[in-house]
Amino acid sequence: MSINIFQAIILGLFASLSSMPGLGGTSIGNYTLGRPLIGGLICGIVLGDIPTGIMVGAAMQVVYIALVTPGGTVSADVRAVSYIGIPLAMIALKSYGLDPASAEGTALATSFGTMVGTIGTVLFYGTATMNLIWQHMGWAWVDKREYDKLPLVDYVLPWISHICFSLIPTVIMCMAGEPVVNLIKERLPMDGIPMKTLFTVGALLPCVGIAILLKQIVRNVLDFIPYLTGFTLAASMGINLVASTVIAGMIAIIIYKLKMLELRKPAAAASSAAAENGWDDDEEDI
Amino acid sequence: MAEKKLSKKALNSGFHRWYYGNLTCFSQEHMQTFGYLCSMLPLCKELYADDPDRMAESMDTYRTFFNTEPQLGAIIVGVTAGLEEARANGAEDVDSETINGLRAGLMGPIAGIGDSLVVGTVIPILLGIAMGMSGGGSPLGAIFYIIVWNLFAYFGMRFLYFKGYDMGTKAVEFLVGDIGTAIREAVTTLGGVVIGAVSATWVSVKTSFALYNEAGEAYMVLQEKLDSVFPGLLTAIFVILCWWLMAKKQLSPLKVMGILVVVAFVGVLVGFFNPGLSY
Repeated sequence: MSINIFQAIILGLFASLSSMPGLGGTSIGNYTLGRPLIGGLICGIVLGDIPTGIMVGAAMQVVYIALVTPGGTVSADVRAVSYIGIPLAMIALKSYGLDPASAEGTALATSFGTMVGTIGTVLFYGTATMNLIWQHMGWAWVDKREYDKLPLVDYVLPWISHICFSLIPTVIMCMAGEPVVNLIKERLPMDGIPMKTLFTVGALLPCVGIAILLKQIVRNVLDFIPYLTGFTLAASMGINLVASTVIAGMIAIIIYKLKMLELRKPAAAASSAAAENGWDDDEEDI
Repeated sequence: MAEKKLSKKALNSGFHRWYYGNLTCFSQEHMQTFGYLCSMLPLCKELYADDPDRMAESMDTYRTFFNTEPQLGAIIVGVTAGLEEARANGAEDVDSETINGLRAGLMGPIAGIGDSLVVGTVIPILLGIAMGMSGGGSPLGAIFYIIVWNLFAYFGMRFLYFKGYDMGTKAVEFLVGDIGTAIREAVTTLGGVVIGAVSATWVSVKTSFALYNEAGEAYMVLQEKLDSVFPGLLTAIFVILCWWLMAKKQLSPLKVMGILVVVAFVGVLVGFFNPGLSY
């Protein structure tokens, strides 16, 4: 499998749309096209192998399942993960002859993708810094009351930043990827320590992604129980993800009802106390 | 003087500009400020069509730094649209200072709720279901996510924007009030369970450690012993270890990844980990 210049440019355009300050907007760009699962579909379509694309995308999605960027600090860049990491991982899988659905295939894809994603933070800072130029021009226009030029600053000029920091790097990395992958393959045998480490890291990395998410949910030890419940449903009972979500939904409904009962009780008690004292006015409730 | 009322067209344009452009021209210094200015532009143009000085005063209000979670933040943009209309009608208690005070006061809490609810819960739940539908490389899950998330985001943001415009700050009380709290707690639990199922399905940490007798037969395979205690125990331990490093030891995700590389390297050397591959 190799990537020609047209395929690389298409991937570069998607990288421009999907990055964190992306030109597809936040909902469509970053939160849809930027997710590795969706990136896997797009790369699969562009490179002509949808199943491999989806499997690689899904494997990487676990690592980046809770990619929150509070205050704009990033530890990974979605455009690099989805549109450089996934195509390179697909090439590597084909080159090594690994089944993308196997544990080894998933591990290889994950460590390749995460490496590229981490290096990709450079692209994030590059784009954000270049945007300062357009914003500087924007302030000058606002001072002169030329407000009609604002959409130019917000929607059009950032394309220049993205051609420099999304499109061109994606094209170069995708085109250069195949020889590099082959070089690694020749130099590092798969049963040697470096490759064994790489595969093991690939299996461990998704734990970080899950843990980032748990950091948001878990406040005390008891909050681990819902997580472990889900874990048990899938690992011990063999229930699939869609069915697990249905059970989770049932639990959520119970919690909602209990919480509402808890919250309404003091209010109801207060109004009945008021009624006993004869202050209540009948129109108020029930 | 006739009461000024924003047209549906101007409000729609203001909403769509926020929906699309909230972060398109991002920099560390101004973040969503330009997205906000662009969203307010059609509204200010309509309200102050015949008065360039008031137009300038109004646009200058939105030059102040703004950053929040953009989906939920639509409610703040909606609230300011309503306030701008009130100011154009000469409301005495609405000036640049009150509008910016409100924006500064709301962007923090809304970012906190939005990051944990939208990015930390709703998106992972949808992705979890989508990954469940991606077995064997099927594109069904990805298509499911594209459709459901975008309908949710577009109509959710639209609802919040117009609720903010109609109800003003009362709309925000809904989000931080009793019902909002109960919904958040329920959805967070839902998220926790789904993430548990996702990690058991998609993450697999396995050890190759075993003890052999003289005949070369393995009499103690650690992975089997661990799984007989709790299936997937090693995976759960590693997830909780990473959580502990980040939540209790305040390490950044990048540092935790670094630690895992060291753990993997040492593990491979001592034979605890072995992917068992060769050409």
